[in-house]
Amino acid sequence: MRHLLLGICASAGGLVAAAGVAVVLLAGEAASQGGSARETSLAAWERIATVLQHPRCVNCHHPDAPLVGDASRPHMPRVVRGRDSKGAPGMRCNNCHGEHSNNEASNVPGAADWKLPPRTMMWAKMSIGDICRSIKNPARNGGRSLQGLLKHAIEDSLIQWAWEPGGKRESVPMPQTVFTDFFEEWVRTGAHCPN
Amino acid sequence: MKINVNGEERDLGAVDGGTPLLWVLRDQLNLTGTKYGCGRAQCGACTVHVNGEAVRSCSLAVRDAAGKQIVTIEAVSGRIADAVRAAWQRLDVAQCGYCQSGQIMTAIKLLASNRKPTDAAIDAAMDGSICRCGAYIRIRKAIHQAARALA
Repeated sequence: MRHLLLGICASAGGLVAAAGVAVVLLAGEAASQGGSARETSLAAWERIATVLQHPRCVNCHHPDAPLVGDASRPHMPRVVRGRDSKGAPGMRCNNCHGEHSNNEASNVPGAADWKLPPRTMMWAKMSIGDICRSIKNPARNGGRSLQGLLKHAIEDSLIQWAWEPGGKRESVPMPQTVFTDFFEEWVRTGAHCPN
Repeated sequence: MKINVNGEERDLGAVDGGTPLLWVLRDQLNLTGTKYGCGRAQCGACTVHVNGEAVRSCSLAVRDAAGKQIVTIEAVSGRIADAVRAAWQRLDVAQCGYCQSGQIMTAIKLLASNRKPTDAAIDAAMDGSICRCGAYIRIRKAIHQAARALA
């Protein structure tokens, strides 16, 4: 009985979510035709920012050391960025973090190329406007164009991981396809940033 | 499944590929020098060398160890290992000794990457290797002594 109820709720939730997305995207279409593409762009960025500021993302987008868990606690044992962003000698990210998948036995998350992002890609304690400007800046975003950013968001192994983090870690609440839809919409409507 | 441990191909038979390497080493291969301290990659007692890197074997599924060179405390060798062992003995570093296999394997890797580590570099490498007896001061001294011997 409980399974049936959960199934109905999940379907209903899915329909509502899909309808919600459809409304937003349709609103975006209408806005870019007649109204303000900029408004649509900013609205899309608000949604994108909820993903970027989620612990699964912002925990590693820190200058010197990652944070851990939904409560964003210090990483124990203590780790540091190291010269190549993959840890100090003797305490490399890969010494514990698997290269293929999350380890359910030790509860250590894992994905290909586990490491900190470059220091220029810091989002900790930044406003969503500052994050937006940072992401658009090729000097800070790994030399990427807006299309390149979208490709990165779809293909990067660590970004993928955020949706399957294993253990009791909360995955990014927005489905990945919805995230990339918002990203495309943001780019298409001019990639505007809030102040 | 076969894995290469201490220079030998070992046939594990039909082992579950998700088994942590630590348990394969200890229970199946009787290499009990590597210890279980936490099973969560938090203490370092399970550290072995995998292709030269200091890996926590509680957090490596045996299927991901296939095709790699695994070295345990029983067989680690070379100039750096000798210097570390000598310093550990000379300074009587171990108290109960439980953590020391992991401490030594990590210290060897540190010195392999950084021949003259500063205290900060020792901290960064060794902070994740817990010693309940508190032998940290001797561990640090021994690493410095091994580094001098290797110079």
